[in-house]
Amino acid sequence: MSVKYIPVQWNPNKWIYDGIMLAGVAAFLWVFIHVTPEILSHERPINSQVHNARAFGACAFLMLSIILAIGPLAKLDTRFMPLLYNRRHFGVMTAFVATAHAGYILNWYFAFSFVPKWDALILSNTNYGQLLGFPFEALGAFALVILLILAATSHDFWLKFLTAPVWKRLHYLIYLAYVSVVAHISLGILQDQQSLFLPVFFIVTAFLVALLHVWAYLAERKTGDPLASAEGDWMRVCQADEIDEGRARIALLPDGKRVAVFKHEGKLSAISNACAHQNGPLGEGRIIDCLVTCPWHGFQYRVTDGQSPAPFTEKIPTYNLRVQDGAVLVDPKANPPGTHVDPVEVA
Amino acid sequence: MADNKDKPFFVGYLTAPDGLRSFLIGIGIGLILLMAGVGLGIGATQDDPGNGAFRGDYGRQTVTGVMELTPYPVVRVTQGSEHVPEGHTLMLSAGGKQSLMSRVRDLDGQLVTVSGTILDRGELDMMQVRGGQNGISRAEGDAPEMDSEDLGRWRIAGEICDGKCLAGAMRPGTGIAHKACANLCLIGDIPPVFVSTQPVEGSEFLLVVGPDGTIFPKSAYDLVAAYISVEGKVVRHGDLLVFHLEPDTAELVQ
Repeated sequence: MSVKYIPVQWNPNKWIYDGIMLAGVAAFLWVFIHVTPEILSHERPINSQVHNARAFGACAFLMLSIILAIGPLAKLDTRFMPLLYNRRHFGVMTAFVATAHAGYILNWYFAFSFVPKWDALILSNTNYGQLLGFPFEALGAFALVILLILAATSHDFWLKFLTAPVWKRLHYLIYLAYVSVVAHISLGILQDQQSLFLPVFFIVTAFLVALLHVWAYLAERKTGDPLASAEGDWMRVCQADEIDEGRARIALLPDGKRVAVFKHEGKLSAISNACAHQNGPLGEGRIIDCLVTCPWHGFQYRVTDGQSPAPFTEKIPTYNLRVQDGAVLVDPKANPPGTHVDPVEVA
Repeated sequence: MADNKDKPFFVGYLTAPDGLRSFLIGIGIGLILLMAGVGLGIGATQDDPGNGAFRGDYGRQTVTGVMELTPYPVVRVTQGSEHVPEGHTLMLSAGGKQSLMSRVRDLDGQLVTVSGTILDRGELDMMQVRGGQNGISRAEGDAPEMDSEDLGRWRIAGEICDGKCLAGAMRPGTGIAHKACANLCLIGDIPPVFVSTQPVEGSEFLLVVGPDGTIFPKSAYDLVAAYISVEGKVVRHGDLLVFHLEPDTAELVQ
């Protein structure tokens, strides 16, 4: 949370996160670039530019796969939630690594010609009508453009400027980038492979990423937030005694939005389930220091009016609520963000 | 959606709860080991790019012979050097992805001296000729008559590459991943070479030209780097076979 924009709001966890990420990237590149040439028993070595391009390209693919695995892993097991916390830095680093891969390719395969490099990239192979020999470089370039757009718009300034729903939709382009990268590899280097390691690693990794998403989707469908049932003009969420102190129950309202009903100091309050920051699921958070705390990035709100404590300015909608015969009923019409609603005593 | 009732709750700007710390340390170490392991696995199992190379260790080679434009320039060597024997037919290129054609246009059938760096890959070789007069000049004397022998029509299977990368300018210099680079070389009129899966008259490598003895047709660029079967006339120029490829007869081979 911040009252002003600064490049990075560093804290110890972000330092540790980025340190581990950079150590992983450095380990990958160091082993690939400096250790494996000694292991390979080729009569003549692979050109260093090609070797480096492969190192950065493979690293970018692995990083992108890890990034995409974090979301479903966090849905399936909340212990993975901390990996979500600073995932944007992972994404920005991936864009840098992918750019290095593209740089090596552009300055090697598309250099040394009277045709300018960028023209050569576009024009040297135009065999778009056939899978074998398809200009797979275009798929990689397309994915890189997406990664660079996502990296450039990863800062909270863009999140606020574009609004969370638009920003999130924009950042779903990561899936298009991944599909493009998978096609880039499938139609490119995989076509020439005799060694089995890369094809097996690539297929297993891409399959695991897809499997995790399907698994998380099915689990969400099975244990997802229940639809609130109508009680006249109000919607029934749950029984009041089903809500633990400091926790919430989430229900889906007829307009498709979710409400989170929290119990704090024995009283119930209802707020929007969507965090103003990145639409994180507030109802899966906890009340810490009397404030609802988002599980994704720790944004906090007062449970009675949906406002972040001063000096922060984030606001979310609240809902009117009553308890009738032990059932928690919510008015499905949301109050404007920041509207105070008196908490309701549990009878 | 996950049942997190009893699980520790992580807040990014607070110290990680005790119950989560060891899990996160394990994930962190595991991530670094995973990345190092994958780097090792992929890096150490790369395919052999072949033994083609610029032979800087040979030193500069200077030979004399008869220039032939097939239309790609080749020299029928009459006076060899340490690493280029007399009687050999040597393909030529300029630096980078550039042809020598503009410099040899008026030298067809003439006795010339060429000097440069050799690239070789087994039976295949090529000279990257130096710039200016130091690279190519008319030689004293009359050029001897050079024969060529029509070996008839053939259907052969294999891959069209650019001769320079194949000979060792790039390692690897073949395959689909190299296709755009090969096309770019051919745009620069670097001699294309057909790598046949079965030797043709004892030769695995054939210089490729268009069906009427023209440069490699642009319509055939989509065939480059793919495994194909194709027909055409084969003509022997000394110890080099020239394949007059007919793109219309090409078939992709699975």
